[in-house]
Amino acid sequence: MNNAAADPALFSTETVREVVSKIIEFKERIFGIDQKNGVVKIRIHRDVLPYIAQRLAIMGDIYLRTMVASDERSLEGVYKLYYVFGVDREHTNIVLEVALPQEEPRVSTIVDINRASDWYELEAHDMFGIEFLDRKLYRFVLPGDWPEGVHPLRKEYSVPDLMKLYRPKAIEYAKEIGAESIVTIPIGPYHPALHEPEFFELYIRGEKIIDTRYVGFMVHRGIEKLGENMKYDQVPFLAERICGICGFVHSTSYCQAVENALDIYVPERASFIRSIILEIERIHSHLLWIGVALHLLGYDTGFMHSWRIREQIMLLAELLTGSRKTYGINVVGGVRRDIDSDKIKKAIDVLKHVEDEFRKLIEISVNVPQVIARLRGTGILPLGEAKALSLVGPTARGSGLNRDVRRDYPYAAYKYVSFRVPVYNEGDNLARTLVRVDEVFESINMLYQLFDKVPPGDVRAESWSVEAYRLGIGSVEAPRGEVIHVVVTGEYSPYRWRVRAPTYQNLPAVPIMLKDADLADVPLTIASIDPCFSCTDRAIVVNIGSGTIKAIPMEVLSLKGSKAIG
Amino acid sequence: MTQPLSEETNSKGVDLKKTLSRIKRSVWVFHINTGSCNGCDIEILDVLTPYFDVERFGIKLVASPRHADLALLTGPITIKTFSKVYRALSAMPRPRFVLAIGSCAVGGNIWFESYSTIGGFPKALEMFSEMGLEIDGVIYVPGCPARPEAIIYGAATLLGLQKPKTVYRRFKA
Repeated sequence: MNNAAADPALFSTETVREVVSKIIEFKERIFGIDQKNGVVKIRIHRDVLPYIAQRLAIMGDIYLRTMVASDERSLEGVYKLYYVFGVDREHTNIVLEVALPQEEPRVSTIVDINRASDWYELEAHDMFGIEFLDRKLYRFVLPGDWPEGVHPLRKEYSVPDLMKLYRPKAIEYAKEIGAESIVTIPIGPYHPALHEPEFFELYIRGEKIIDTRYVGFMVHRGIEKLGENMKYDQVPFLAERICGICGFVHSTSYCQAVENALDIYVPERASFIRSIILEIERIHSHLLWIGVALHLLGYDTGFMHSWRIREQIMLLAELLTGSRKTYGINVVGGVRRDIDSDKIKKAIDVLKHVEDEFRKLIEISVNVPQVIARLRGTGILPLGEAKALSLVGPTARGSGLNRDVRRDYPYAAYKYVSFRVPVYNEGDNLARTLVRVDEVFESINMLYQLFDKVPPGDVRAESWSVEAYRLGIGSVEAPRGEVIHVVVTGEYSPYRWRVRAPTYQNLPAVPIMLKDADLADVPLTIASIDPCFSCTDRAIVVNIGSGTIKAIPMEVLSLKGSKAIG
Repeated sequence: MTQPLSEETNSKGVDLKKTLSRIKRSVWVFHINTGSCNGCDIEILDVLTPYFDVERFGIKLVASPRHADLALLTGPITIKTFSKVYRALSAMPRPRFVLAIGSCAVGGNIWFESYSTIGGFPKALEMFSEMGLEIDGVIYVPGCPARPEAIIYGAATLLGLQKPKTVYRRFKA
């Protein structure tokens, strides 16, 4: 490592200086440190990764934001892993870049040091065939009948190749399952607005949960591979279709990553418009969630009212962007659609109306004794666990972990408005609900400020040029937590594009919340992290006492508890 | 868009007209997400809640496919969900109808050529007919996401209250 780079005094922030001084003992194994746009990139040898991760882990305020594996064999003959750590209070990302030779892509695991890395390692194993030593690796993201040894994100496979290689045995498989239809209900209730096709196995004794296992990734659609074959300006539209509820955060996050990598200047007016749409999306998403949560509690009146109020926000989104959902107005370097003063006036009227109605709804529904009784003290997540798992969003803020990307890594127009980040310390379902309720009011308040301050000017950077193989990070506070996209630029399209949605980070917390919980509280507790998925879902309950297995609709479980098992 | 309901009787000799006349009273629907992004799913929920309120037409969401006349299918059908879609649809009583909602279900949308999706309901329909599962009628509702009004229009087309705008035809490229 070159000595000038190692001088801690050269780094802008205190924590980064501390990190550098702590890892200096490995300087033989550190190949370079550079700093740009709030990203500190440290290139290290794979042998020292666990030691450095250990040093970062004991520093407390540093958490794992994402890990990206990338196939760079055609460039340098290596696979690369980028571990992105965040330092909240200093608006800085620390990226550990680890190169793995292509002959033996192996590295030791850091899952025992940083539990949040568990899924990232499994995914890198599936998609790139990278071996993580000293841990159990199993098929995680890809379908069960995917051919061994085919790792779809490796560059040698194109999408048509993969389609040829992978002849799904879907038909036989479907028939097979049909034959053994001993399981009670064919497919659980598709529970709209709650779950992506996903599935929890609950192990119970009597009425109490002993353990929970998550089986998911039903919605693996191969997005990252598709993105690598698209032009820069096409990807935002793809990104927006990652999630229909909070799609705009994905396209914004992607655009920010590219802008960060290529130093593209986004006009101020464009960043205001992005912030406005992001906040509108947050209000619609939170109203949706509050409705669904009330529905799961059996308080359907609240559900209906919440959705009635939400409809006005949908119409507002249509007024401003042209569509109710999947707005499609983001492009790299700005937005495609401007907002005029007439629309602003209408929008403010709608917001005032929504604010009044929502306040009335909350005053009533949060005072219903049954609602409070079901929310308070259930699904407790302690602060320590929230920190250890690097949780994000309202889930973390409900456990007293004060983390919000809008404040910690300011983007778009959030530095021009004042807002409060609601934090509750109880860590139960009530705390997570109240965080979201407060956030709706904060968002409305923020929108008044944003509409008031929108500056004149262009909405889109005129032109920009691509420089290949640069790393960019873009993160956005989605309604569910932090979304982070990492882009390695290519000549015509992103060379590697990594998406990390908040639910990916938050789901591992569910087994902790469910430990020793009552069966009837399970659906609400799972919902309380606001898992961004839609439905296909049922719970399998394994009764350890009698050894029976039964599939039960979520809703029935919520209302009847263990009586539903019969 | 609609695939014409087969004339009078289908291959198994079920009298469709008679069954359709039964279905006209009140349609119960079951919602299947096959790897959709949630966009269409929340619009379906929107249709069921007070603003659009399809319950006034007797359309009701039920929790089991065994109670349903009509499946609301969203998403491009990922490989992992295919078997579950098959099971859900085969559990539905005859005549079974499908409302394929959103561009993904209609033709795969942006996932048309991804390695892990089947790419829309028409392709799945071919696979189902190979497997011996008959679907009595399919209505396609395009849109990304499909607008609530369009979903209601689709349901009305199924019930014979509205004429379909176009008829689905596939061309080999």
